[in-house]
Amino acid sequence: MIPQDLNTKEENTWCPGCPDFLILEAIKKALAELVNEGKILIKDTIVVTGIGCHAKTFDYLNVSSFYGIHGRVLPTALGIKLGNPGLTVLGFGGDGDTYAEGLDHFIHNCRYNTDLKMFVHNNQVFALTVGQATPTTEKGFIGSATPLEVGEKPLNPIALALISQASFVARGYAMNMEHLKNIMKDAILHKGFAFVDILQPCIVFHDTIPYFKKNTYKLDEAHDTGNFDAALAKAQEWDYCFDSEQKIPIGIFYKKERPLFKGQSPQDKPWYTIDRKVDWPKIVGDFR
Amino acid sequence: MEKTILIGGKAGQGTAVTSHLIGKVFCHLGYYVFNYRDYPSLITGGHNFNILTISANPIFSHKEKYDIIVALDQKTVDLHRKNLNAGGFILADKNLKTISENNILLGRLFKSLGVDKNIVSVVFEEVFEDKAEPIKRVFEKGYDSAETRQKLKYLGGQGEKYFISGNEAICLGAITAGMDIYFAYPITPATSILSFFAKNQSKYNIQVMQLENEIGVIIAALGASFSGAKTMVGTSGAGFALMTEGLSLAGMAEIPVVIYLGQRTAPSTGVPTYTGQGDLKFALNPGHGEFPRLVVAPGDPQEAILRTQEAFYLAAKYRLPAIILGDKHLSESNYSFDSLKESPLGNSRFILEKIPLDYESYKITKNGISPRLVPGQGPVMRANSYEHNEMGNTVESADWIIKMNDKRNRKQEELGKETKKLNPISVFGKGSNLIVSWGSTKGAIVDALPELKNFRFLQISYLKPFPGEEVLKEIKESKKVILVENNSTGLLGDIIAEQTGFIIKDKILKYDARPFTSEFLINRIKKIR
Repeated sequence: MIPQDLNTKEENTWCPGCPDFLILEAIKKALAELVNEGKILIKDTIVVTGIGCHAKTFDYLNVSSFYGIHGRVLPTALGIKLGNPGLTVLGFGGDGDTYAEGLDHFIHNCRYNTDLKMFVHNNQVFALTVGQATPTTEKGFIGSATPLEVGEKPLNPIALALISQASFVARGYAMNMEHLKNIMKDAILHKGFAFVDILQPCIVFHDTIPYFKKNTYKLDEAHDTGNFDAALAKAQEWDYCFDSEQKIPIGIFYKKERPLFKGQSPQDKPWYTIDRKVDWPKIVGDFR
Repeated sequence: MEKTILIGGKAGQGTAVTSHLIGKVFCHLGYYVFNYRDYPSLITGGHNFNILTISANPIFSHKEKYDIIVALDQKTVDLHRKNLNAGGFILADKNLKTISENNILLGRLFKSLGVDKNIVSVVFEEVFEDKAEPIKRVFEKGYDSAETRQKLKYLGGQGEKYFISGNEAICLGAITAGMDIYFAYPITPATSILSFFAKNQSKYNIQVMQLENEIGVIIAALGASFSGAKTMVGTSGAGFALMTEGLSLAGMAEIPVVIYLGQRTAPSTGVPTYTGQGDLKFALNPGHGEFPRLVVAPGDPQEAILRTQEAFYLAAKYRLPAIILGDKHLSESNYSFDSLKESPLGNSRFILEKIPLDYESYKITKNGISPRLVPGQGPVMRANSYEHNEMGNTVESADWIIKMNDKRNRKQEELGKETKKLNPISVFGKGSNLIVSWGSTKGAIVDALPELKNFRFLQISYLKPFPGEEVLKEIKESKKVILVENNSTGLLGDIIAEQTGFIIKDKILKYDARPFTSEFLINRIKKIR
């Protein structure tokens, strides 16, 4: 399989030059490579999207998919996985989607550790509604709903995921597509809930490319991905603001397998393959 | 023969368990039993009571006056003595200390009614299993210390009765309809559905998921349904309010889901452990945009079984959300039946086994129903909350928007044709005057009917699609029409006016959070005449 095999005929309506194109390319490459390596089947791969620019991914990938609603990528993905535990379920969300409307689901899914993947296109702005602040927008941002600037410091999703017990926590940078692709592959192969915050500058409402170009660096082998305290320290190197020069680590912060969310499932087969025979007199007999 | 027993005490003293046990004993004796449960929202203390009406004839509601009061505390005596019938008696003992000692009063109760000790023992063993022995000993102490006041006949005959609550019936309906996963967040009066399924998940090979909130609950149920599981959620009005975005999603993405909405006294927190019928329009109308849906309101546990099975069948067949609308009174009261039957519709998943060439997720068909596959079967399967074309890809063109609206609307029409064959209305009794109602009020109305000369009862079960023709026919054939509802404005009356043009002027509305009784209805209906 080549990445182009996952193309659709749908017209792409992202702004020309948007880093979302690179995230799309990264996931297509990651999936094609995993298929070629015999690690996944494309017929068993499912993509779930929320609402926002990222969600158009639904139409640009030729795999089974669910165009969900704002904030609800994770419960949708969780349900899909419970309905058929054999599926590879990939969630795509935006920062408003995941960290504002869907924050409760995000924290709980980190905790549940279901075998799901969550890729967040974090452009630190509501772009499709033309420029309002999200929970990851920096202090000082002037937007259409905050003409007097955002007064609060942003949420740090990497740190939040870590303390919420996510078993795989990473940060990618859309402009570093090969590196992002490798993180995505690792996330997909991780057995458990894998979260990747993807820095995705919005070239119209929140262009952070120059800052990221200067300040991002890759986590190397010196960083122990099995060490929670080291991961949390790395997570706090950058506070998602731009008012001073801070180094921004990208790569895998933390990766440690732990027991999967079983959801007390009595069996592992796809539910639709279960043939249920009903013994009515026996079932109703319990109420005599 | 008919007797009404009130058993009351503080929360935590075992009123509910004890009343259930009394009910089961009378079912064993061949009597019909109705058991009403009344409790405030607290865990220990306060005042809980159950009212059991026991009859040689079928009975579906409780009476307002009691023949016997079983008082586990003094408050029960103080509050309820005024409703004791002439010749009635109170069983109380100031020295009771533990829950187990309640059984002393049970012993006295059954001895005073001349019930054979062995029949009660059989029920103790059924209910308490290996813990029955010490309880039986306490019971016998009470039994041996009392005198027989009146000997109740052993009716036997048709065999033992089924004794079942509305929530248990919904569970049975769901299990036999092929439910795979139940998602919920705890809320009265739906919580006992969650605990019943959880307790029996291995027995029935089902999965039970309590998630972070009702939004997560309905969305996960839709996700699991998309990947092929038959799913159900259960809640009350406050939780259903959170679920409404999921309802629109189910409608647009055409994903089957069954929702149990157990009404309590609303708005907002309202009176959370009491009953009401204030959510009728809320069940019919929630969700932004127009989309097909089903709303069905069972009137008793037998109907709850059938309507739940129908809801699963129709949700899967038409790919839409199906709401079972009940209330606390139906959910938590126990009813008795000689037999319980299941729906003949079966439990098909409506998922294609043979995979067609050129599969399209939202194929436009004559009846609006697109054949369904699930992800993993091979072809790309899409669910889309955005307007879409047949492939499921996102569109905004006027042409597709019209085509897809028409397709979804055709499903609602087809559904209406099918529910016409599923007894969308029921008529009880004979007479030229008509009582019109829906849901759990059925019990008190059916019990009142023999006392009301020249009255029929029209029960409307399918509320969406609404059986307008059938309802109007019954109304037109009647002289006097009286609306009976457990709410303050007569919501069904509004729906009937909207659907048929007929405005019902005479209304008996009860909105004190307590269910109707037959006495209350007879008294009020006689005043209207």
